[in-house]
Amino acid sequence: MNRMRRLLLTGLMLCLVGPVYAQAQEIVIALGSEPTTLDPQLREDGGERAVNDNIYETLMARKPDGTLLPGLAAAEPRLLDSSSWEVKLRPGITFQNGEPFNADAVVYSIKRIIDPQFNSEQMSFFNTIKDAQKVDDLTVKVFTDGPDPILLSRLYWMKIVPPSHSKDAKFAEKPVGTGPYRFVRWNRGQNIILEKNQAYWGDKPQIRKVTYRFVSDPGTRLAGLKAGEFDVITNLLPEFKDQVPKAIHVMGLEFPIIILHADAGPTKDVRVRQALNYAVDKKALAEGLFEGFAQISPGQLLSPSFFGFNKDVQAYPYNPEKAGALLKEAGAAGVTVEVIGTAGRWLKDREMVEAVAAFWDKVGIKSKVRIFEFNEYLNRLFDRKTRADAIFVVSSNELMDADKSFSAYYKAGGIGSSNTDKELASLIDAARTETDPGKRSALYHQAVKRAHEQAYFVWLLNIEDVYGVSKHVEWAARVDAKMLVGEMTVNK
Amino acid sequence: MESSAEKIWKITWQERFQRLQNLLLELWRDKAGFIGMMLICALLFMAFAAPLLAPHHPADQDLMARLKPPAWSPNGSWNHIFGTDHLGRDVLSRVIYGSRVSLIVGATVVFAAGVFGTVLGLIAGYFRGRVDSFIMRWIDTQVAFPGLLLALIILAVIGPSLITVILVLSFNGWMVYGRMTRSAVLSVRETAYVEAAEILGCNSRRVIFRHILPNLTSPLLTLAILEFARIVLAEAALSFLGLGIQPPATSWGLDVAAGKDYMFRAWWLVTFPGIAISITVLAINLVASWMRLISDPQEREKQFARQMAALKRKHRRKEGAGA
Repeated sequence: MNRMRRLLLTGLMLCLVGPVYAQAQEIVIALGSEPTTLDPQLREDGGERAVNDNIYETLMARKPDGTLLPGLAAAEPRLLDSSSWEVKLRPGITFQNGEPFNADAVVYSIKRIIDPQFNSEQMSFFNTIKDAQKVDDLTVKVFTDGPDPILLSRLYWMKIVPPSHSKDAKFAEKPVGTGPYRFVRWNRGQNIILEKNQAYWGDKPQIRKVTYRFVSDPGTRLAGLKAGEFDVITNLLPEFKDQVPKAIHVMGLEFPIIILHADAGPTKDVRVRQALNYAVDKKALAEGLFEGFAQISPGQLLSPSFFGFNKDVQAYPYNPEKAGALLKEAGAAGVTVEVIGTAGRWLKDREMVEAVAAFWDKVGIKSKVRIFEFNEYLNRLFDRKTRADAIFVVSSNELMDADKSFSAYYKAGGIGSSNTDKELASLIDAARTETDPGKRSALYHQAVKRAHEQAYFVWLLNIEDVYGVSKHVEWAARVDAKMLVGEMTVNK
Repeated sequence: MESSAEKIWKITWQERFQRLQNLLLELWRDKAGFIGMMLICALLFMAFAAPLLAPHHPADQDLMARLKPPAWSPNGSWNHIFGTDHLGRDVLSRVIYGSRVSLIVGATVVFAAGVFGTVLGLIAGYFRGRVDSFIMRWIDTQVAFPGLLLALIILAVIGPSLITVILVLSFNGWMVYGRMTRSAVLSVRETAYVEAAEILGCNSRRVIFRHILPNLTSPLLTLAILEFARIVLAEAALSFLGLGIQPPATSWGLDVAAGKDYMFRAWWLVTFPGIAISITVLAINLVASWMRLISDPQEREKQFARQMAALKRKHRRKEGAGA
């Protein structure tokens, strides 16, 4: 009897210890989508980025709180004259296949991504970079199209690829970088496996092996985390924060807004646009719909950590009476406003459009909601000829600088802008080439204020990124939404 | 001579009434079918009288009171009997209003696709030859064509609406009726009674609709019921993507699709519209199985034989008692 019990106990312990031992320092990360390619310079693809951020590195890097610091560059690049920069490189680094990391690799990488033939989807990040030139083995000159005050942020986005291996036809399936993890295998449709790069030049990561799995359904990701199948899951729905071992959240880069058509239709009148802002209870959206995992956007497309943020501008308060009064004053009570949105692309996108429409209806607007399939939605969003009255969009700003989102949505003629305000456009243009940070930020402060007064948008929220993490993984999420496995640790 | 022949074919009002009475009597005898019919009537009533029945407006939201459980749960309130959804809207009211779109789409699509597919299938199977190969290749081509792409094309032309959904789903769902009808016709048209009808000089239309079609009712009705449930959910998939009905309108399927993400925390979002769909499908099932019994000649024959046997037994028992 006693022996039986002991045997049973041993067996039980083996069962418990066995998997733990096998899994030590190995983690499984569940992503929402599978990468379409593993070429780090080709697509604008969240799944690809999540994997390649660990394989490749960039000249500039960021701390978890967003501060820029040199990455593969030995020091912060130096401005030579208004449109050229000198970048000194870290010596003694090699790619995982043995190719040396040097000026040739950097020049090659820059030229590769800006080549119009290559047609990279990431070009919007690099459209000011004109050329690069080797000075010596560890020095590179980068030329920009006029003064570019945010070149450093751009360099933080450009992954450096090995010159000879990247010419290989299989490069998009077998990535080779300088980063802390090296590619092992990609079983299409199932997983991608990475392993620690033993020859990594920087701080050695603790986790030995990472497996990426692709689960598009948030419920399935949650179930997998609860069952112990996954260690880290992305885009956890706020509703499930209490059901996971650990939910970590950090202010994200995503800003849901509604672009209002300022030149025609009912939204031409600034009073109507302001009314649409006053009508929406942003606090209810943040605390109700997002269960507190979102902040009210302070009336601008920026978060406080971004360059250009104007702390004197505040969100339009929730004031339905004032909204109704403004509408009456403008003679627009009962007017129909068409609002365009999509479903399933961003966290709670459909819900937000429905909720905002209901708020508008309450103050006497007849909102006509149009939820389109994503491609059709994009056609409407980027339609330069006929702008809809109101278009819902989630703008994300990975460069953490006002330039990117302002050129796209604020400036007249930007891909998603619905106004023709010349004054606003000239402020943004001036800031784009201003290299003095003080003057530049003053220009953005004016632009933020102007757009806010004119109510060109209904600013809604700044959404937090929420990750579900298993008990034994330690990780502090980053504001730039990169999932660097090197910063995670396992304690078991 | 002529007038008496006409008399045979003429049906008087009285006879019509008599037939209807018989039909209702038969329905009453088939208890399952009767319950099904009652349920369908109740659902139709719910759809028509939605504004009178629903306790709240289906689009009234309250973001601070979202995902409240049904009334009988610890935190529930009788103000929202089935709880509230992810935007704080009343689930019961949405189920009541959702019946409109779901029933209209389900019924219209099944009818349109069913009629079109069946007629083409009958023609293909009866005439065979070139007509047959033309129709069958048409079906093959359309089956191979992705439905979502078709939906997108139609959307680009006429824009998303209830009509779009009905069009897309009908256009995409008739092939299965066509194929099934054709294969059934191929075997039925070889039977002796079809041959007899042809020899007697019945024209093709009469042979097809009078002699062949009634024999296809059981498989067709079964297929139509299966399709109804599929259509209700397909409408949801289209609407969820933005190809169908637009908010604030809703349907059962759409609420199921939208509530799916919250299933682990709020089961009532998917459960109640889901139950509504199941009840509808069940009711249609019951009625359809009764309709199959009264319309399929073979089933009628069996039923007749059973009645006769029962009568005979009764008779015999009476005789035995008498002796």
